[in-house]
Amino acid sequence: MKILVVDDSRAMRMIVTRTLRQAGFSGHDITEAENGKQALETAGRQRFDLVLSDWNMPEMTGIELIRGLRAKGIRTPFCFVTSEGSEEMREQAEAAGAVGLIAKPFTPEAFIDVLSSVVTS
Amino acid sequence: MSAIDEFEAAREDLEALLIEVLGTVAGEEAMPVWDDVLPPGPVVSSKLAIHDEDDDSYTMVSIRTSSIVARVLASRMLLTPDPGPDDLLDAVGELGNIAGGNVKSLLRHSCRLSLPTAEVTENDGTGHADGGVTVRASVLGQVVELTVDIAADVSGLYWPGSAPAPDPLESRP
Repeated sequence: MKILVVDDSRAMRMIVTRTLRQAGFSGHDITEAENGKQALETAGRQRFDLVLSDWNMPEMTGIELIRGLRAKGIRTPFCFVTSEGSEEMREQAEAAGAVGLIAKPFTPEAFIDVLSSVVTS
Repeated sequence: MSAIDEFEAAREDLEALLIEVLGTVAGEEAMPVWDDVLPPGPVVSSKLAIHDEDDDSYTMVSIRTSSIVARVLASRMLLTPDPGPDDLLDAVGELGNIAGGNVKSLLRHSCRLSLPTAEVTENDGTGHADGGVTVRASVLGQVVELTVDIAADVSGLYWPGSAPAPDPLESRP
């Protein structure tokens, strides 16, 4: 699978990638983007099987990213990985078409719970 | 109830939040401490604001720790034995981001979170100079402080979406 990891923190992009492996989702092709704008451009050039994205980022937020992808007809499964896990944000994420929201700090178990239906081991 | 009273009432929740965030990010058991303070020397800190658009108020959330903890955090987060100055700021900035997001979920639900900024300063050993409520935890034998305060000045902070990427290096250790 090709997975696009979007976060303005390089440390967090590495942690997300590592946690994917720890959750048993290893051997995937990971591409990184630093913000929503960069991710939108990248996803317009190549096809991904999953987008894991932070919410709060410079240039373009995660919610703007998923709306931008859907507006372009890109239906790639999308999951937020964000420090805010309020019910309101979960509702916004679901309404925008995300498969889930993983709140930081997270564990591999949280990745398994949310991503098992869209990521193959 | 004033905002400071509200933060004070949430002190135990803030302590638990700091312990959980540190434990997960650092991969080390963190313990609450009450009397310990940051020792004199280089301190890596991050801050972000939570904006309540209803009353146009700002809550500032800041994290401070020694450069020793910052170095270990960066090393573990980035899997590098010798993290550079940018890495320390990125690691502590992300720690502040996670803490800020959780503080928002705890105290300020329908508000807007800024992006974190991080910097290195010199601590004179007299403790946290600002007001607000500060909780402390010990991890790796070092103190980490989480402060929640009313923010009078949010200049220098960046907000998500249509904002330029902040310069990660306000200062170097």
